[in-house]
Amino acid sequence: MFALRGSRSANDPPAMRAGLDKLYAAALWLSAACLVAIALLIGAQLFGRLIDESLKLIGIEPFGIVILSLAEFSGSLLAAASFLALAGTLKAGAHIRITMLLQALPPRGRYALELWAFGASALLSAYIAWQLTHFAFVSFQFDEVSPGVVRFPLAVPQAAMALGAIILTIALIDEFVLVLRGREPSFRKSEDAITLGKAE
Amino acid sequence: MSIVALSLLLIAILLLILASGIWIALGLAAIGLVAMAVTVSTPPGPALAASMWQASNSWDLTALPMFILMGEILYRTKLSEDMFEALAPWMQRLPGRLLHVNVVGCGIFAAVSGSSAATCATIGRISLPELRQRGYDQSMAIGTLAGSGTLGLLIPPSIIMIVYATATDQSIARLFIAGVMPGIMLIVLFMGYIALWALINKERMPPAEPSVPLKQRIAASRRLIPVTLLIAGVIGSIYGGLASATEAAVVGVALSIVLSWGTGTLTRDNFRDALLGATRTSCMIAFILAGAAFLTTAMGFTGIPRNLAEWISRLGLTQWQLLTALTAFYIVLGCFLDGISMVVLTTSIIIPLVEKAGFDLIWFGIYVVLVVEMAQITPPVGFNLYVLQSLTGRNIFAIARDTIPFFVLMCVAVALIAAFPGIALWLPSTMLDR
Repeated sequence: MFALRGSRSANDPPAMRAGLDKLYAAALWLSAACLVAIALLIGAQLFGRLIDESLKLIGIEPFGIVILSLAEFSGSLLAAASFLALAGTLKAGAHIRITMLLQALPPRGRYALELWAFGASALLSAYIAWQLTHFAFVSFQFDEVSPGVVRFPLAVPQAAMALGAIILTIALIDEFVLVLRGREPSFRKSEDAITLGKAE
Repeated sequence: MSIVALSLLLIAILLLILASGIWIALGLAAIGLVAMAVTVSTPPGPALAASMWQASNSWDLTALPMFILMGEILYRTKLSEDMFEALAPWMQRLPGRLLHVNVVGCGIFAAVSGSSAATCATIGRISLPELRQRGYDQSMAIGTLAGSGTLGLLIPPSIIMIVYATATDQSIARLFIAGVMPGIMLIVLFMGYIALWALINKERMPPAEPSVPLKQRIAASRRLIPVTLLIAGVIGSIYGGLASATEAAVVGVALSIVLSWGTGTLTRDNFRDALLGATRTSCMIAFILAGAAFLTTAMGFTGIPRNLAEWISRLGLTQWQLLTALTAFYIVLGCFLDGISMVVLTTSIIIPLVEKAGFDLIWFGIYVVLVVEMAQITPPVGFNLYVLQSLTGRNIFAIARDTIPFFVLMCVAVALIAAFPGIALWLPSTMLDR
């Protein structure tokens, strides 16, 4: 509904701006790829079950097609997907927050409150990113593996979560700096569109 | 610190954090951090990481992005045009005529989409201009659309039900099936009101159009066959125990891609937008669930939910009194919070109380969905109002006034499912278990 477009500003070093936007977009696409992978895995399992059932119907021994540890793989892919998309979702204005007060304030007040919201959110996000990184590192140290038949190291999806939270922190700092320089948050339009119905 | 002082402190910080524009998911985590910092000496960090991981790494939750993707794909098809053309000829005979298209159209779209804003927008962008052009009463057209758009939450699949089920450890499949009858009941209530209104306000109805011959009507209805198959495939396979909610969602995605391809709307751009849109929406919700999961853990440490449950039970309220109080509380909350935040915030605190009062958690889920539906049409924060504002250009308070009768009907629906819990619980009890 709302296209993801990088924010452009004359003040930014163009290379850095482009690099950051590419980072958010890449993480978002990686997240989308995880979701497609979940759909394909579950689809394959369903298709396998369909073949087995039809073989049973015509009296042939079914192959017994199963995707091993489907639930664990899907869950881990989902965790990775949910966190990798954080920055792209922020930039598109799709994370929800209460903007009633922000919109009621005069421009100067809104400026100050936006700075507070971005600053505090960046700190919280940094704390979460640090804790998730630590969490992933501990499970790497202790070689924690998933339960089930096919065992894979849990540190992988956990590291993806941590990475997503780190990118979100970068995006929040990015927005904080933009607002500090007197620009609107880059998603103001789509956020207002969602919460005020100002869509085209 | 006493538990009352702690609760008041946390509520004050919550209000401050949320009102100041901090993102909801991060705000929930922040309250959890404060709660743990003042009650226990263990560092909150590991609990935060562990609860976020556990909430995000969930097989059940994979149904969420899949159902969102299905809705996003169908939103970009010609489904709404087909729906209007096919339904309109049948509704001509009923008092209230084409106003019923809003209700039935939303009811059908709700069965393929999990969001009320999407339901409202999809049906509204075709039906509102058509109704205006034919001279129907504008406030009635808007009111019916706002009211029946909320069916998107109650009729499965439903995003809010997935959120409730994951937050309270209930079966998504059972909750989905429990929503079917209350959804149909709400459709009947809305259509009954429209018919009654049309009989009383004959002068505000446009002149009747010539009736369409039966043969043509049936021909037009053919366009609804694909969507009917889609609904039957998804809800039927959940009800029949053939597939879990997640698997049914993947079937739904596959079928909606086929439907989109068959109607020529499956372009590269459409698919990319649908996929990225679904990725973002599901990320937004999953992040809130992760924040809420930590809040729930932290609340467990504070003992607030347990104490609240004991305090309420000492008051000796009857179930009716408790429900009335809760409904009033939710209606006020719904004026300022969106549905998902309402559900995750309250489940972490209210569920022990609800269990202690002897409510069935599936039934309570349907109740919560109904009150969240009401929240969608109460100003100043109500997503369906925003959608209608962008469709009509009218002020949300004017739109909210048009929706008052439907708000009242939803209150009636809450009273009905409270008086007859079987409306929600009978159908899931007949499900074939997997």
